[in-house]
Amino acid sequence: MADQEASKITHSNHLLLDQPLLRLPYELLRKNFRGAHFHFEKESSSVKNLLRDTATGSLDGKVSPDDVVKNLDAMLAKMRGMKRKLSAYAEEEAHLFKQVDARVAHLRELSDMQTVEDVKYEAWSRQRLDRLLVDYLLRHGYNDSAQSLASERQMEDLVDIDTFVAMSKIRKSLESGSVQEALAWCNDNKKELRRMNSNLEFMLRCQQYVEMMRAGAELKMVEATTHAKRYIVPFSSTYPTEVRQVAGLLAYKPDTTVEPYASWYSHERWTKLADIFVEAHNQLLGLPSFPLLHIALSSGLSALKTPACHSSQATSSSQPSHSTSLTTSVCPICSTELNELARNVPYAHHATSHVEHDLLLMPNGRVYGKQRLEEYAVKAGLPDGQFKDLVTGETFPSDKLKKVFIT
Amino acid sequence: MGDMEGNRTGMETLERDLAALSKMPGLSAMVDNVDTIIEQLSKAREKVAAARDPHTASMTMTKLQNPIKLAFDKVNDNLKDVASRNKKLGKALDKSFPLENLPADHDAMANQPALINRAIAMHLLREGQFSVASTFIDEAQDIAAHHGLYSRVGAHDDTASPEGDVLMGEDDSSQGDMLLSITASSSDHQELSSLQSQELQAKFAEMYGVLQELKARNLRPAIDWARSNSAELEARGSNLEFELCKLQYVWLFLGPTINGLPDDEYNGRSGALLYARQRFGRFQPRHLSEIQKLASALVFAPNLAQSPCKSIFTIDSAFTDVASSFTREFCSLLGLSAESPLYIAVTAGALALPYQMKFTSRTKSRGTEWTTSTELAFETPLPKRMVYHSIFVCPVAKEQTTDTNPPMMITCGHVLAKETLQKLCKGTRFKCPYCPSEGQIKDARQIIL
Repeated sequence: MADQEASKITHSNHLLLDQPLLRLPYELLRKNFRGAHFHFEKESSSVKNLLRDTATGSLDGKVSPDDVVKNLDAMLAKMRGMKRKLSAYAEEEAHLFKQVDARVAHLRELSDMQTVEDVKYEAWSRQRLDRLLVDYLLRHGYNDSAQSLASERQMEDLVDIDTFVAMSKIRKSLESGSVQEALAWCNDNKKELRRMNSNLEFMLRCQQYVEMMRAGAELKMVEATTHAKRYIVPFSSTYPTEVRQVAGLLAYKPDTTVEPYASWYSHERWTKLADIFVEAHNQLLGLPSFPLLHIALSSGLSALKTPACHSSQATSSSQPSHSTSLTTSVCPICSTELNELARNVPYAHHATSHVEHDLLLMPNGRVYGKQRLEEYAVKAGLPDGQFKDLVTGETFPSDKLKKVFIT
Repeated sequence: MGDMEGNRTGMETLERDLAALSKMPGLSAMVDNVDTIIEQLSKAREKVAAARDPHTASMTMTKLQNPIKLAFDKVNDNLKDVASRNKKLGKALDKSFPLENLPADHDAMANQPALINRAIAMHLLREGQFSVASTFIDEAQDIAAHHGLYSRVGAHDDTASPEGDVLMGEDDSSQGDMLLSITASSSDHQELSSLQSQELQAKFAEMYGVLQELKARNLRPAIDWARSNSAELEARGSNLEFELCKLQYVWLFLGPTINGLPDDEYNGRSGALLYARQRFGRFQPRHLSEIQKLASALVFAPNLAQSPCKSIFTIDSAFTDVASSFTREFCSLLGLSAESPLYIAVTAGALALPYQMKFTSRTKSRGTEWTTSTELAFETPLPKRMVYHSIFVCPVAKEQTTDTNPPMMITCGHVLAKETLQKLCKGTRFKCPYCPSEGQIKDARQIIL
């Protein structure tokens, strides 16, 4: 039957929303590895060089035993530093693997369920909702809420609080007019950003230039020129328009109303930079550009929505499955929580009618299933042959009711 | 996603692959080898420092070269191992959980942060997550007040679609006026506080209190609630109050060995009879036959298990049943759905998303936009319990009826959409497409399904 088909869990496509759950820790593992690798390369070559130079110098008699000891101390210090760093990387790696394990175990639970009617499915799906909520909260910077929901539900390993808290710190610093944190992040992810053709660093450098121009002092102007030569001019073929405009800024004061210079001086640029940063950050880590909750909601609201949900008339009948005890449950789209939100999404497409059995038309135009009318008449203590409208409460004799045929 | 290997799901395969990967060494192996280097360097340092002569120094340093180089090589090998482990993980992911691009070009929800926040706050409250809810409401209001201006401006100069603004009645940020933006953000702010979260929280706290008592098999708070709302419940056709009282009668009837209540005149059969006399009176007109059945149980009492009223006294699921009826009625009186709408919508979303993605990938090349229409262009079959309204699809036009194109019943009892009827009409008459009867358009009448 069709309903069985609709309730069936298709394992190959039920986890579309859950892709970042494993992709993110994987990206973080790679990033962590790159960090460890880079650090090792740098420190080990410096230790190796010092070791070689010390040995040859000592052979040649150019390095005294005291200096050999000094150099060995320097090497030891470097190696101890390296050990500390690598231990931290190793710890992070173990933490990420633990997350991956927990997440795979969580996703794997679904493998034992064949339909959404499975009692275990509700618990699983609720946990998915909680994950999507935490993702939404974090992306909006509601970090305390995210943290408290995650710990309340004991699902820290299933959500990415650290990543997003770090991101929101940088975003906030940009929104409050500081480029330092974002530049440091660019530096940490140089190669990847270059591969992505990200303009983030260039835009940050431009903003630094703008701020120097804004400061306006003589000394700053010199600094600004040096800055531009170093960080902006080299990009004149990649971002010709921007470079030209930034160069033109020299001729305009911060309070200018002439475009595009006024926009460059505008404080709104900081918001824009924050947006560019967030976009680059998400792209770099393979995160969707907007909250997963949005994707789930826009798809789900439409699938549930019917023309009746925003109709001016209260509908009469409902699905039999929702009227077992006569009274019906409020439809989620009609419920206060989602009604406004769903107003402008398209409603679901249906190719066939779904109505109650044995429909009867009342003189007031309302149509109900016979069984429900009979039950209600009994519950309302009506005499035989009388029926009561479930919505309006009007009573009608049965001979005024007409059969309705739905084809 | 997830190639099926035999009957195994992608996740099952991935779980096995992960177990194998976890046996491979990670970065911690490097730390051990770094320790060896530190040890060798320290030993050399002690030696040179103790002797303090050039010969020992140069000898020690020369001897040190090779072991240190070897140790560094080992660390390098560790790194290679880790790289290959990561690569294997990546391959396992690609195989069992291949990436599918989620819809990314259009975010229909982007302009609705206030409404989404409201839905989340209400969800948290109805789930009984009162402390998370209050943290969230505070944080959302803080950020709205603090950030509102910037994020508004940011949102409307790039992708904001015009229909988004219509939703917020007072939010007319398309004028780009700073002042308006501020008022808009403070109306977001009010959106959350207008939730009257205190009141809603109190309501849900009340609901949880009653449910808690039901779980502990105490029906009184639920009965009290049902009584004080009996008029509304009756109007809804709910017989919750009677169901609760009935269960209370049965519960007392079963006596102290089962209900664990004090063994006095208010418990057991006599207690049940007393209860019935006090409470069943007002249910008489409506539920007479059921009350008679309950009363007759007293006759069968010694041998209830073989009696015709056996089923009434089997209460295995009775408490969970009344608990869910209670939740449904409680939420309905607040105008809310019994299950969290956010939960249902997200679950429905996960079920519908594959259909949406299949459709978009098929139509993308043709450049058709499904988001612009009022109806989805593809079917998103949901389980029955997620279909809440009757759906009428005009059998001729194959379209759902709406407020502007309502269902019309013609004299033979068949139902068609209004527009279909108008098209079928020749003059003022038409022939029913489903039976031989003919009718006049004036005799067709609009019905409310």
